[in-house]
Amino acid sequence: MTEPLIGSTCQECGARVFPPVAVCPECMSEKMADLPLSQEGTLYAWSVVHVAPKGWTVPYIAGYVDLPERVRIFTHVVGAQPEALRTDMKVRLTSATLGKDENGQPLESYAFTPAG
Amino acid sequence: MREVSVIGVGMIPFGKYREKTLADIAWPAVKQAIGDSGVKKTDIDAAYCGTALGGMMAGQRVLKQLGITGLPIVNVENACSSSSSAFREAWIGVAAGVYDVALVIGVEKLTKFGGGTLPLEKEDFEVAHGLIMPALYGMRAQRYMHDYGLTAEQLAKVAVKSRKHGALNPDAQFRTAVTVEEVMHARPIAEPFTLLHCCPSGDGAAAAVVCASEIAGRFKGKPVRVLASEVNSGRYMTGYRDMTTPEITVRGAKEAYELAGVGPEDVDVFEVHDAFTIAELLYYEALGLCAKGEAVKLLEDGTTSLGGKKPVNPSGGLLSKGHPVGATGVAQMVEVVRQLRGQCGARQVAGAKVGLTHCTGGGISGFDHGACSIHIFAN
Repeated sequence: MTEPLIGSTCQECGARVFPPVAVCPECMSEKMADLPLSQEGTLYAWSVVHVAPKGWTVPYIAGYVDLPERVRIFTHVVGAQPEALRTDMKVRLTSATLGKDENGQPLESYAFTPAG
Repeated sequence: MREVSVIGVGMIPFGKYREKTLADIAWPAVKQAIGDSGVKKTDIDAAYCGTALGGMMAGQRVLKQLGITGLPIVNVENACSSSSSAFREAWIGVAAGVYDVALVIGVEKLTKFGGGTLPLEKEDFEVAHGLIMPALYGMRAQRYMHDYGLTAEQLAKVAVKSRKHGALNPDAQFRTAVTVEEVMHARPIAEPFTLLHCCPSGDGAAAAVVCASEIAGRFKGKPVRVLASEVNSGRYMTGYRDMTTPEITVRGAKEAYELAGVGPEDVDVFEVHDAFTIAELLYYEALGLCAKGEAVKLLEDGTTSLGGKKPVNPSGGLLSKGHPVGATGVAQMVEVVRQLRGQCGARQVAGAKVGLTHCTGGGISGFDHGACSIHIFAN
């Protein structure tokens, strides 16, 4: 079971944002509450990245995932061959090692993978 | 507001100048623009310098080389739109009557980063998670290809056209033609892009001298009028957005055409921000040259090539001329001013009377682009 990603929802105007913020970009209210996000979404677009800054393990698949909360998340897509990807296909939250951080330690992050 | 004209332009050939400082890259372009305009150093009331990654006081570092100091110098950063945004500040100053003559500089030295993709701001959430510009445009391309049936071969033709134009431009970084096969089989960068779908990294500088049109007759430089000077920021959106529609360009183009009192049908030559092949096609649509999804027709039937009805990027654009980011906006203006003056030799757009430059800057989350500036010029 993966922990859900947390965004923010504005208690005054209902705006939803990821990643979490302290002030609402719609109405400037500071009454923001945590918003646990759905773990399944659809793959809006992707690109297989072959050349990237130091640290990232290439190739990797960069993508945008649309969640039912109407939040779009930039992510790495893991556990999939590029040719198996389809526009708007269902993907679910997971976690993965994406490279190494500035101290040479494994860089763990959320990611998405084809669902089902 | 007073009408403003460009009376002098200059640029250095874009390329790699590892051994030179930013100041030494820029001063020849500035000297050329001043010489072209015929103004004396003392005629210049203010200077604006656009650079994205050139560091502090870039304008002062450049202008001290030529002894142009003691005047107001303002440095402008707006990513790839840095020098086009600087140009607009100069335009405002002259149009408002605060200054009569102003100098605009665009300069960048990307070789100092040692190559690779453009370094972006690591505080940004998406950048911190591995977003790079080729991937961002690559996703736009992937979605556009899905939505509108564009093929990889058609996309490659943008680069072929660009290189064909660039081969005619002595200031271009790439001056050799390429084939569709060469584009498609070059090494992959961020799919669907190979290396030849991406603008090169490099160094360069460009400059322009502007003045109030009412005093342009005092100077020898052949004036080109500024019909519209427009800068926008992108609309921040937290939710879904259509990545095949560059909203900031659509909005900016509408404003610029209204300001200028012209439409896309009146523009004879375009310089657009083709940082990657897909971008050129998106901008045909956003600038009103065709309907959504139809850009590739204009590419394939030759409309946007030299000799066609609506030539786009006769300079070779960012893909061939190069993209030292802060220098690009003014370099586009150098090309359009020369086109409108009839100074472009083998790549001259015959009888060009109205030209448009379009320059966007991005690389942060939640925006189509962070900045976009559109200028329309007429002779």
